[in-house]
Amino acid sequence: MRSESELERLYDEHAQALFAFLLNFTRHEADARDVLQEVFLKLANRPQLLDGVLEVRAFLIRLAHNQAIDLMRRRATREKNYDQLAAESETVFAPSADPDEVAFRKSLAEALGELPTDQCAVIHLKLWEGITFEAIAEALSISPNTAASRYRYGIDKLRDRLRPIYEELK
Amino acid sequence: MNTENFEERLRNQPLRPIPTEWREEILAATKVAVRPRRPSFDAQPHLWWRELLWPSPQAWASLAAVWLAILAVNFSTGNGSQVAAKGPQQSSPELIAVLRQHERLMVELIGPHEKPAAGCLKQFQFQPRSELRNNTLTV
Repeated sequence: MRSESELERLYDEHAQALFAFLLNFTRHEADARDVLQEVFLKLANRPQLLDGVLEVRAFLIRLAHNQAIDLMRRRATREKNYDQLAAESETVFAPSADPDEVAFRKSLAEALGELPTDQCAVIHLKLWEGITFEAIAEALSISPNTAASRYRYGIDKLRDRLRPIYEELK
Repeated sequence: MNTENFEERLRNQPLRPIPTEWREEILAATKVAVRPRRPSFDAQPHLWWRELLWPSPQAWASLAAVWLAILAVNFSTGNGSQVAAKGPQQSSPELIAVLRQHERLMVELIGPHEKPAAGCLKQFQFQPRSELRNNTLTV
């Protein structure tokens, strides 16, 4: 059993990043919470999981990613109205008092929601976690080239989708 | 639209903070989950067999049903087989007469059955190796 203080330290260091990643991936706060709790339950029950792990953040993202995929598969088979749920997805960005920023973030959240989940995951990790394609590849169990190409495809789609509002707000 | 500027703009968008109350809730859940449990055999004696049969109790139940069916069939046919086994031992005089007649017919057809000579049997009697070697040398 992993000690409570160690779990608290892991939570304080990584929970915010995992939450943002999971929220962007699942688009649902409740799902993000479920997966986050599952990750910490695993860490508590199987302390040997982190033995010899050098990049703890990348390892935890991998764990969270796998759990999230499992959850989404279960949900997809359980619920017929999955598309409707996706349409009601929650924003991953902080609220803002600036109306222009609010509009841009809303458009960006919608555009991210329209991306395939594999591209969305890579873009999130690259842009908002600032990790390398090698680390992304390790976290998502793909090759670095695949990570880079998914990022490019995703960014191109976002740019096309957001071009009007981006030009308007510039 | 400049790609680097666009990516920089995206990168600067602040993400939602994690709800603060989750920390206590999630860490409390981990404490509950890893609380040391007493051995299930002592704590819940009525449930130990569930652990034994997990994860496929239906498969185990089917196997048990098959065994019960085999036992039932075995018991129901057991007396008949014993009778059949005992049957040939009770030979009647008529049966012996028929068998002897068959034996006579066989002798007429293929000749009398010759018994092996006693000398042949002696060759295969066990002897110490040293004596076998002496016999071979003598021959």
